[in-house]
Amino acid sequence: MAPPPPQSNRSPSPSQPSGKSEVSDLKSQLRQLAGSRAPGADDSKRDLFKKVISNMTIGIDVSSLFGEMVMCSATSDIVLKKMCYLYVGNYAKVNPDLALLTINFLQRDCKDEDPMIRGLALRSLCSLRVANLVEYLVGPLGFGLKDNNNYVRMVAVIGVLKLYHISASTCMDADFTTILKHLLLHDPDTQVVANCLAALQEIWTLESSTSEEAARERETLLSKPVVYYLLNRIKEFSEWAQCLVLELVAKYIPSDNSEIFDIMNLLEDRLQHANGAVVLATIKVFLQLTLSMADVHQQVYERIKAPLLTQVSSGSPEQSYAVLSHLHLLVMRAPYIFSSDYKHFYCQYNEPSYVKKLKLEMLTAVANESNTYEIVTELCEYAANVDIPIARESIRAVGKIALQQYDVNAIVDRLLQFLEMEKDYVTSEALVLVKDLLRKYPQWSQDCIAVVGNISSKNVQEPKAKAALIWMLGEYSQDMQDAPYVLESLVENWDEEHSAEVRLHLLTAVMKCFFKRPPETQKALGAALAAGLSDFHQDVHDRALFYYRLLQYNVSVAEKVVSPPKQAVSVFADTQSSEIKDRIFDEFNSLSVVYQKPSYMFIDKEHRGTFEFADEVGNLSISAESRESVVPAQRVEANDKDLLLGTSEKDEGRDPGSNGSAYNAPSLNGSSAPSATSQPLADLAFTTTGISGQAPVASLAIDDLLGLSIPVGTAATPSPPPLNLNPKAVLDPSAFQQKWRQLAISLSEEHSISPQGIAALTTPHALLRHMQSHSIQCIASGGQSPNFKFFFFAQKAEAASMYLVECIINTSSAKSQIKIKADDQSSCQAFSALFQSALSKFGLP
Amino acid sequence: MPVAASAVYFLNLRGDVLINRLYRDDVGGNMVDAFRTHIMQTKELGTCPVRQIGGCSFFYMRISNVYIVIVVSNNANVACAFKFVVEAVALFRSYFGGSFDEDAIRNNFVLIYELLDEIMDFGYPQNLSPEILKLYITQEGVRSPFSSKVRQQTLLLVVTSYHEVRAQIDKLLCFSLHYLDVNVEKMECITCILPNMSRALSQAKLPSLGWLVRSHPTSSLFLVDKAWVLPMPTDRPVPNATLQVTGAVGWRREGLVYKKNEVFLDIVESVNLLMSSKGSVLRCDVTGKILMKCFLSGMPDLKLGLNDKIGLEKEAQLKSRPTKSGKTIELDDVTFHQCVNLTRFNSEKTVSFVPPDGEFELMKYRITEGVNLPFKVLPTIKELGRSRIEVNVKVKSVFGAKMFALGVVVKIPVPKQTAKTNFTVTSGRAKYNASIDCLVWKIRKFPGQTESTLSAEVELISTTTEKKSWTRPPIQMEFQVPMFTASGLRVRFLKVWEKSGYNTVEWVRYITKAGSYEIRC
Repeated sequence: MAPPPPQSNRSPSPSQPSGKSEVSDLKSQLRQLAGSRAPGADDSKRDLFKKVISNMTIGIDVSSLFGEMVMCSATSDIVLKKMCYLYVGNYAKVNPDLALLTINFLQRDCKDEDPMIRGLALRSLCSLRVANLVEYLVGPLGFGLKDNNNYVRMVAVIGVLKLYHISASTCMDADFTTILKHLLLHDPDTQVVANCLAALQEIWTLESSTSEEAARERETLLSKPVVYYLLNRIKEFSEWAQCLVLELVAKYIPSDNSEIFDIMNLLEDRLQHANGAVVLATIKVFLQLTLSMADVHQQVYERIKAPLLTQVSSGSPEQSYAVLSHLHLLVMRAPYIFSSDYKHFYCQYNEPSYVKKLKLEMLTAVANESNTYEIVTELCEYAANVDIPIARESIRAVGKIALQQYDVNAIVDRLLQFLEMEKDYVTSEALVLVKDLLRKYPQWSQDCIAVVGNISSKNVQEPKAKAALIWMLGEYSQDMQDAPYVLESLVENWDEEHSAEVRLHLLTAVMKCFFKRPPETQKALGAALAAGLSDFHQDVHDRALFYYRLLQYNVSVAEKVVSPPKQAVSVFADTQSSEIKDRIFDEFNSLSVVYQKPSYMFIDKEHRGTFEFADEVGNLSISAESRESVVPAQRVEANDKDLLLGTSEKDEGRDPGSNGSAYNAPSLNGSSAPSATSQPLADLAFTTTGISGQAPVASLAIDDLLGLSIPVGTAATPSPPPLNLNPKAVLDPSAFQQKWRQLAISLSEEHSISPQGIAALTTPHALLRHMQSHSIQCIASGGQSPNFKFFFFAQKAEAASMYLVECIINTSSAKSQIKIKADDQSSCQAFSALFQSALSKFGLP
Repeated sequence: MPVAASAVYFLNLRGDVLINRLYRDDVGGNMVDAFRTHIMQTKELGTCPVRQIGGCSFFYMRISNVYIVIVVSNNANVACAFKFVVEAVALFRSYFGGSFDEDAIRNNFVLIYELLDEIMDFGYPQNLSPEILKLYITQEGVRSPFSSKVRQQTLLLVVTSYHEVRAQIDKLLCFSLHYLDVNVEKMECITCILPNMSRALSQAKLPSLGWLVRSHPTSSLFLVDKAWVLPMPTDRPVPNATLQVTGAVGWRREGLVYKKNEVFLDIVESVNLLMSSKGSVLRCDVTGKILMKCFLSGMPDLKLGLNDKIGLEKEAQLKSRPTKSGKTIELDDVTFHQCVNLTRFNSEKTVSFVPPDGEFELMKYRITEGVNLPFKVLPTIKELGRSRIEVNVKVKSVFGAKMFALGVVVKIPVPKQTAKTNFTVTSGRAKYNASIDCLVWKIRKFPGQTESTLSAEVELISTTTEKKSWTRPPIQMEFQVPMFTASGLRVRFLKVWEKSGYNTVEWVRYITKAGSYEIRC
């Protein structure tokens, strides 16, 4: 036998080799060692293997050593074995032929008498990820699942899941799921049980899209015996496994209230767990279970407050960010419950900005009559003190609070103080806010105009702020002495104005000013229209032309169109529909909450291969460079809507469509989810404001005018379409429940209710009788003022098709949220209209 | 699907990959490049720890000079992922002896791969308990006695005294406890040159070794070199494998023996304060934790009593005697290590548990009411014209006169364009630190019920263009006050109960540190 080569003299540290020579050097050394049984050979092998692995880690392709590595793998040294397994797992996929070589020794190791080796080998065998080798997996997996050692079983269970992902059919044919089901309920080891649960959930979820049986199997996972079995053992599970179990329990539908309370009592102590993930998972269970019981649901909020705040204040900033995102969601849902805890949302000086941003939003949300003063005082500190993006955010927050509250006296004063702080960004933000404030509270115009009038337009650079200033100049030109002259000087500098948005506003403002002070503005108007007509931007050009023709046609009509008497905006449109919010809530304790988007918006359904992504990375980096030129264009678009939406802040943060490379970049290659889905979101918000119906002058470019002139949310009652309902429809509660679970939501809307309706809705029963007279039956109702919840159903006349409705009415905001599920999707719209008309007649004599 | 991770990367600050472990195929291999180009090399690094790039989400955390990045492609459980990273780092630290940085990773990368294999499988966290993992993932140098090599080899232990027997056996056990009774017939080792070997072994109270000796009372002992070797019969059936991967007491292994049974309790509190410039407290709370170091034999049951209100009331109610007078405190919220029996806490309000061996965090709590602030700070900062600022800061210690604070640091912010500073301090030392734009005033030892003042004159470089007023960041303070708790929490008792009935020595320490102690000025 050959003596061991002298590699051991080499430096044992895993150096960072470069280039091919090193790889071929390794190759020859491995080859020499392959057959050696000399003492010390293992040590040399170890050093070599280490080098190979370290090369692999830093990205050097060492797949050419595959053969040699496999030859050296016949060893008894467990550390060597592990390194070899790691290597094989990494390269088997690109070397399927060579991977076949490893099957032999892996299979042999699967029968080793040491459970450790059996487990390791089985794990590696399943990690090869080579489709044509799956036949070799079935046998060892079968033995593994029945192994008398829990370590091996634990590995085997996950192995089944891996097999499923390589070849679903092989996995299903071998009927491993039956064994998993058995182990789930009978294995003494909790980690095995947890892995079974994870594997079965994944398999059934993926399988259920094609097979009905799988969907049923998925339901059985949620059946009472399984859930109870797991719940009773929950304390034995590791903290991670507890998260899994709790995730399952959150989906369980208890049969009655006492069951709900049993589960909650059992899980109460989990809220004390040190692991934040367990606490969040428990909170999810509590929230989901009590959804149907409004008062208990509220108690749950009270109960989970303390644990959530503890989780926020402990751990790394990243951890607290994850928890804070969830707290944020809850605060947004029920701000009044957290209004006394506002001090917890004060920012610390050294906190990272992502934490501060969430806290600012929460401070805004929890502001009410009693704490507004403190909160606004605190926010004003941030405006002066901390980094600029946060300062901006905090000014916006002050503005939002002003828009929420009735008592805005003090806030307006503060905003005006901001204007006098003489910091560019503060002034800009404050201007935008003052504009929004004036739209809602025109009565403040005197005070504001006095201050705004002192601001020189030369000091305002940001397009948004400039547009706001110009809007005010146009709107209040009669109160501002030099408005026409300021506008005139702005028109003179038309060519230097780069933002189309500002130019659009300038056009409109000059028009408005013209109607109020014609002699002084005439010259400016002429210049503005001329400049507008020759503008290269399509919208500016069109608007100028439109104004020009309008003026030509009839000046008084033009005045009616451009500068009609304004009604104050009562409610600014919400940026997210309640359906989306509910979806996010349903996905509590996941990424959706952090992104504030339901998962379908950011999860790409298509499988992303490694190579596809390689192309995309290329695109991404290009787009990142060209971002500078792309963003302004998008911003204009966003801003146009922004005026309409009022409170939505489009330029920073997490709104889709315009926030930096993360979302912008993918939208350029037009294939990925965020860009595709952000559009519907914007559209949705757009239609809910009820403006698109005003056809004659509805051009996107002058939405801002229309947004002001039409009070939001008082859409006219639609006339009932020809859909006839069966007046004597019957459905028993259990059938309703089942249907409700099966069907997907086909329609989800939010409507406002007439004041008479609200007045009549003192008890749920009044509405029940009313709806019954419209052939819509109630199956369940509940709640107390101001929140009522109803479940209705109706049946199409002369057909079996059912409509199920969940209707939540909030009397304080005079809003109803309606979710409709229907057997017959096509007539759903018609039914919605019918329902809507019935509801709108409620309370009318 | 609450998957926690599809891939885990460790990167250094330059973006070199130190460790790369792919768990699932749904993320590409070059995800790390995307992270480098779109997060590390942009200004957005600090903006948000959860980011989405091209359909994949990245969670990242910086720990010393290493970035740990988790990549997922589905709607993962973020809280779980971050907690996993934190726990994994704690695990690595316990393996590397406390440090976790680039060098430690480079020197131990094989071990890290081994651990990453065990702690997560296909994206699902598995077992992260260092206690258990150390049983079967061993430091590299130790060779597994499973390997057939051992069958032919003989492990020699050279021992000269009883203590060394213990030490050697401990060393042996740290990797072999669980398979001593599994494959014991392969262990042709076991040892001793002391004539009273069996006594030494029985004194060591090692169940597996005890079994070994007991079951072969007639075996002859050979003297090989300087050690006794006990030859084992090879025809014994393999007893059922008892890998304690999980179990009812997953965090503690059986058969621990300590000569001296000791428990150390550290109550560490950090006070967070936000005070307005007018001296009113805007926000104030205490987050505390109880750290425990246990060196106890066997499977002890511990019970901890604190002076919290609910616990005391409950106790009084159970024993039907009136609540003792004295200060009680109200805990806003408590979380416990997984070893604490939460059911019992909820019903009886007592903290009872079987502790893990060694160091761990027993509980965390939070208090917002009745916080004793250790320091009061009274700043006056006057801007005299454009080029001069007068700073006067008075710090008062309001804890007991017999106590003292250590390492007191007061950071007083000054404008960027500071040119010259002059100080007078009544104690400690102050200097101007230009890199953080602060006057840093350090007082090594600050006795209770005293006060200290700093007055400084700051001259600024006068700039003609600068019209913006200076935004004043808050004054920040650091300190440690031993034997003081801002919350007033006290340990009333710590009872240790073990079936062998040994005596234990308990040590309790208190310390209060500054969390974020900010005073606006």
